[in-house]
Amino acid sequence: MAHSLSPECTPLKLEYDACFNAWFEGYLEPAVAASASTAQREAYSHRKAAEFQEKCGKVWESYRLCVQKAVKDKGLEALLQQARDENPLTEAPPPPSTAGKSSS
Amino acid sequence: MKFFSQSFLYDDPWSIVSLAFFLRYPNPYAAHVISCDVISRTTTPTGSLLTTRLILKRGALPRWAPQGIVSRAESWVVEESEVDPLGKTVRCRTKNLDHVKVMQVEEWVNFRQTSDGKTLQTTEARILSGFGWGLAKKIENHGLKRFKANVQRSREGVSLILNLIRQSRLQPMTLGGEGLSHSHGTSDNDSRSSTTPSGPWSRLKTWLRPPSST
Repeated sequence: MAHSLSPECTPLKLEYDACFNAWFEGYLEPAVAASASTAQREAYSHRKAAEFQEKCGKVWESYRLCVQKAVKDKGLEALLQQARDENPLTEAPPPPSTAGKSSS
Repeated sequence: MKFFSQSFLYDDPWSIVSLAFFLRYPNPYAAHVISCDVISRTTTPTGSLLTTRLILKRGALPRWAPQGIVSRAESWVVEESEVDPLGKTVRCRTKNLDHVKVMQVEEWVNFRQTSDGKTLQTTEARILSGFGWGLAKKIENHGLKRFKANVQRSREGVSLILNLIRQSRLQPMTLGGEGLSHSHGTSDNDSRSSTTPSGPWSRLKTWLRPPSST
């Protein structure tokens, strides 16, 4: 767990990371099959999100506000927003990779 | 513009590789990572986890770089990721926020589970310099060379964390305290597995947490 960009947020970050990571470990091995019905999957996701909120919601909120302020203070807000607006997770990956695939 | 593409197969299941990937900072192979923060994190109605992280990395400029090419050899990097635990995929895009005129590096990393329970990582990158003085090509070549070396280091970092996770899961204590098996089907088990503090993560934490913090 690396430090926060602002020293004053680091204690909150460490607490949040520890809480999130414990939750995340279980999240990665869902107790519902991919073949389950949409309703079942949604119910499960809902439960998992509620569990996070209950356990880590408070520290997440404090940490989030702390970082938000630090980002603003460092003048990174616009830069960050711009980068996020062009979020490419919704776009196609990069142009055809002409470089050959290598596997090791 | 330069492109890079590579795939790599991990023997471990997707859930462990993905966990290691998100826990990869800090590790001895990533000493250049100064800070790493979660800026936003939400779940979608279908259960995917969307995360934006802001990372500060220390960079080293090549010897031939003109003086003052950048004001400081640090770079802000934004990482957007989507984790789908049911589809067993991670998609992650990273790019630098500053010094983009000198060089913009965009990286796409995907992890998906293969049919035989292993994990396939694919990495693609695009390196672009808009620098003048006929240096763009040289900068891009340098960037590509460095990127290749970093991919190797980054994988060593993830492998190291993977090892720690494997070791911690082998501890009988851990298994007794909270099984990370696929067996926590009931919500009872579910909540227990996340509240017990002596799990693999807390073990990892004691290994990884910098001594300066509490």
